[in-house]
Amino acid sequence: MVTKAEETELNQLENQVENGGGGVWEYLCLVRKLKVRRSELVLKHGLSILNDPGKRSSLGPDEWTLYEQVAIAAMDCQSLGAAQNCIKVLQKKFPESKRVGKLEALLLEAKGMWEEAEKAYSILLEDNPLDQVIHKRKVAMAKAQGKPSSAIEHLNKYLEVFMADHDAWRELAEIYVSLQMYKQAAFCYEELILSQPTLPLYHLAYAEVLYTIGGQENLIAARKYYASTIDLTGGKSTRALFGICLCGSAIAQLSKGRNKEDKDMAAPELQSLAATALEKEYKQKAPAKLNLLSSALRSLKL
Amino acid sequence: MNLGFVIGVIGVLILSHAGYSTIQYRGLLKITEEEFTGPPLNVVLELIVGLALSMWAALTFPGKFLSIHPDSDENRAVSLPDNSDFMIFNHRGRLFPPEITMKF
Repeated sequence: MVTKAEETELNQLENQVENGGGGVWEYLCLVRKLKVRRSELVLKHGLSILNDPGKRSSLGPDEWTLYEQVAIAAMDCQSLGAAQNCIKVLQKKFPESKRVGKLEALLLEAKGMWEEAEKAYSILLEDNPLDQVIHKRKVAMAKAQGKPSSAIEHLNKYLEVFMADHDAWRELAEIYVSLQMYKQAAFCYEELILSQPTLPLYHLAYAEVLYTIGGQENLIAARKYYASTIDLTGGKSTRALFGICLCGSAIAQLSKGRNKEDKDMAAPELQSLAATALEKEYKQKAPAKLNLLSSALRSLKL
Repeated sequence: MNLGFVIGVIGVLILSHAGYSTIQYRGLLKITEEEFTGPPLNVVLELIVGLALSMWAALTFPGKFLSIHPDSDENRAVSLPDNSDFMIFNHRGRLFPPEITMKF
């Protein structure tokens, strides 16, 4: 989870590094810590450090971590020659290392040689059958080859063993959403909310999936989760505010002509409160679009 | 050494002096065989002064306090980390490899 303070620091370091100021090593460390995907910049600036033998030796033992980071960034940018060179250097230093073995298999994946990569991963799995990273790479390979059903199968088997892996649950939810299997995606998001209940992004994603499935109970549940997102973010999530307004109007439409109890679920105060909050935020941040917003909200209230 | 640190040191010294006075007072009471009902008034005053100084120093010396609200402006979650364990290299960016120079 990247916080706002970390994001501003990252952007600041990025500007500094791009405009020729120093701080390249801190930028690379921050990218590694936050696990963001900035492959081009990492490749460019990482190579600028590695090409210079003086800067390289001043890093000490962190030099090898940098080689690994640059190798992965090079594979992401399809500079396979650079990746090959980095891996060769690492192989010379650590000859029988599993970590370097994983990088070699990753390089085979990047080249598109799926069977060789598959074989390499199986060999690595024989030594250590419970290696999480290798199992996840198998899923990624299935995804890259365009076989989402096989990816789902592998990921389900992986999650039976390693149930606490949030990234895997998130990945599974995203694959399900891309295949439009929303009920299963909702289940994955429920697991994520159970494990990390204070992260508003999961509540928001769950509410959106429920809203997409539709139907009276799902819309009511979606509205509850949009409300909990607003609670967790202190009212700053514009998307959740919009979600409440849309849920309210969808529920009102569904319960037209039904009996009194269903009409009670409409919760008009919540909708009007959300609308007021939205208008206040738009007045502050985008006053030019305020008229558009007001007319849209008015048409929702029908 | 800034003011907070100095005041903190003075506060701790006053507290330890109050403790030492109380121990001496108890020794005196053992000689006259009376019961220890509480430290004398001047020691209590010293304790209050020491408490005030130490608390002020403890709040000002460490510097800026970090926010603990999860929805404050620094702490709010902006994005989740990009799942690099499941990263695939099969994207459209592979048609545009950057120009790089390698010297090793």
